[in-house]
Amino acid sequence: MIGRGTGAFRPFASGGGRTIAAILGTFALIFGLSAALSVIAIDRSRGRAAVVQVADRQRTLAERYVESILLVQSDHQADPAGLAMTLRASASALLDGGTAPAVPGDDDETKLPRAHGAVLRGQLAQEKRLVEDLTRSGAAVLAHRPLSSIALSADERLHIADPIERVRVLAALTSNVSLNAARTIASDDDQNISDLITMQAALGAGGLLASLLLAWALVAATRRRTSHFRSLVNSSTDLVAVLGAGGCRYASRSFITLVGRPEADLLRDGFERLIHDDDRASVASAQSTGQPHELVFRMRDRHGAWRHLEAHITDLRSDRHVAGVVVNARDITERVRLEGEVSLQTERDKFGGQLIEALEMADEESAAYDVVQRAMSEISPATPMELLLSDSSRAHLKRVAISASAGAPQCPVESPFSCAAVRRGSAVVFESSEALNACPKLRGRESGPCSAACVPVGFMGRALGVLHVTAAEGAPPSALAVEQLTLLATQAGARIGTVRAFERSQLQAATDGLTGLPNRRTTQTHLRGLLKGGHDFALALADLDEFKKLNDKHGHEAGDRALRLFAQVCQSVLRDHDVVARWGGEEFVLVLPELERQGALLVLERIRERLAESHVGSHPRFTASFGLTDSTQAASIEQLLQIADTALYDAKAAGRDRIVVGVPPLSEPITLADGPGTDASPRDYATRARRRPAFHSAADEEEPGPNGIDVG
Amino acid sequence: MPTYISWQRLGVLLAALAAVLAAGCGSAAEDGRTQVAAVVEKDFAISTPRQLPAGEVDLHVRNDGPDEHELIVARIGPRGLPMRTDGLTLDEEALERDEPGALEPGAPGGDRTLSVKLTPGRYVFFCNMAGHYMGGMHTEVVVQ
Repeated sequence: MIGRGTGAFRPFASGGGRTIAAILGTFALIFGLSAALSVIAIDRSRGRAAVVQVADRQRTLAERYVESILLVQSDHQADPAGLAMTLRASASALLDGGTAPAVPGDDDETKLPRAHGAVLRGQLAQEKRLVEDLTRSGAAVLAHRPLSSIALSADERLHIADPIERVRVLAALTSNVSLNAARTIASDDDQNISDLITMQAALGAGGLLASLLLAWALVAATRRRTSHFRSLVNSSTDLVAVLGAGGCRYASRSFITLVGRPEADLLRDGFERLIHDDDRASVASAQSTGQPHELVFRMRDRHGAWRHLEAHITDLRSDRHVAGVVVNARDITERVRLEGEVSLQTERDKFGGQLIEALEMADEESAAYDVVQRAMSEISPATPMELLLSDSSRAHLKRVAISASAGAPQCPVESPFSCAAVRRGSAVVFESSEALNACPKLRGRESGPCSAACVPVGFMGRALGVLHVTAAEGAPPSALAVEQLTLLATQAGARIGTVRAFERSQLQAATDGLTGLPNRRTTQTHLRGLLKGGHDFALALADLDEFKKLNDKHGHEAGDRALRLFAQVCQSVLRDHDVVARWGGEEFVLVLPELERQGALLVLERIRERLAESHVGSHPRFTASFGLTDSTQAASIEQLLQIADTALYDAKAAGRDRIVVGVPPLSEPITLADGPGTDASPRDYATRARRRPAFHSAADEEEPGPNGIDVG
Repeated sequence: MPTYISWQRLGVLLAALAAVLAAGCGSAAEDGRTQVAAVVEKDFAISTPRQLPAGEVDLHVRNDGPDEHELIVARIGPRGLPMRTDGLTLDEEALERDEPGALEPGAPGGDRTLSVKLTPGRYVFFCNMAGHYMGGMHTEVVVQ
């Protein structure tokens, strides 16, 4: 049915009144019609009674007329003419309406209506003609005129000679026809009544049918409205319930779908049972007082999870059709979750922001470790945590930070690449140390079985170490905690990596790549600092002998090894605050604070000796020449260097493998004698000497030459 | 006025047709034929065929009014048609032996059928309501 779906959708139309009015109107109409019909019928019957009476009277009058003729003929008193007049007038009145005259002693004048109906009118017309024939024949008899002259008008054929007989037959015909007419009138009356009854019955039936149709229409309209309304309620995602004194009285289909239970489980106290314990009081309050108007409560859904419902309460307790409060609720679980996430994100961002700021302020690794420790307590004070970082060799892991409040989980991992998280490059969470796929390093710890999270720490794709956390078995750190740990690992890794890189680059700028010694620029700065500070120091330039030959003969590898060996020898002899630096090529500079030439001479001598001892295996032997001076000899670094350089030149010229103490250009060069007097603290150097006594002058050597000391 | 055939007339025609057909089949009566004759009563006159064959005859009687009329079929015996003492009606009791059939008074406009078995002789068809016979409501039919 196409028309069905196109009707107006009016769930709240206040219809029905018009239909009821139509039903009442129909009843009134039927009743009115019925009453009117009855009145008309009764009225007509009342008239009919007079007509029947007059019609019936004609019989008597016709017979009385014959009688009166006979009486007159036998000289008795009678009035045939009067009777004839009454007969004619009555016949005329019966047919066409009018006044039927009075019959003295019997009737008064009677007013008659015009006759209706072909049969009756036919009969009355014939009666009228017969009356005419009768009265004219009667009059002729009384006047002794021959009856043959009288034309008969009613189709009767009288073959009767005797006038009286003739009149008598006419009277009999008149009487018979009058009887017929009276019968017809009476039967018409019967028909009328029967028609009336039929009509009344038809009206009643029609009225009943109309009322039934209207009632059906009313029921259909109500049903349609109910259905519209039901469809609104049922298809709505809004959750609707009615809570009354006895509990839930109605729950919409959406509610039933939400909780995934049959409707019966929601009704009465079933609704309340599904509400979260903490929210039950507020719902109960709304149920009993209609307050508050707005509330949020949690309800267990079909999966057993809590759904957050935001409800609007409409108090309809005084409405006897509802007798409760109407709860219009919306599922806002998703919104609550998002809000929670946003606030969590805010919290996270805050933590992240603070962490980054704190790490930025850490300009050394140790400061970064401190930040990590404090961040650990921030993330979870009761969870044991530790940060294991590799040293510069990247082969060993060192525990550099532990949770101040909960201690270290003590992971036995030793090198970065024996850690599963480091190998994988992403955070790993272990539910239980006893699980088959758990990291073996979690098993057998003193604290017993545990869960753990391991987050690799790296910088620029290079593994630095791991952030390790343990918790109770089966209850690993939450996703949030892991996220924060990851953030911590990332930021700390970045910072520590940056600090390390910075330190390394600073070192690289200040040192010589081959030997690891400070370079010329660093040393110059150092020297300027000493001069400026008024500190005394001894300054020596050293140069490896025959280095070019060494290179040519044994290759650059050997040359490099020689340079590194010399550097190591120097460092092994010198004190912490002494400096040996690569000056360029195979030339080195040594700065020995707080020493004068004599003291420094002994130190240099010691280096020379140590160098001679250190040649082992297949390494080609080599020696070094030194030019020495001290800060008392000149006022500028350039001058001092000039003096030292000249002394070195002299040492080379004198045959290499020796120390020459330089003198200012204007004074005589000095050659130091045996038994050196020195300012150097013997203790400082003694600690470094393993094979020989601290002071061993070249002069002690039995042979001069390579071991001799010249003063140039 | 357009051609008008009343249901009643149609009914008469159909009945007549049926009767003719039945007669044609020759299965209805023992002598093989049932005759049909129309009788019309109007005012105070009866019109019939002047003659009818002997045997079963279905008389289709129509009262054209305006009054009620009877139809009595009586054989005219050797004593003629005796009147009742009232001088207005025939003595039906006396005619009874010779009366093959009669219809009670019928309303004007009615169609009725009267089946009679006629033997050859003279018959009178009449209405015996008061004065009607005397008023001319009779006719004589010869059955051969």
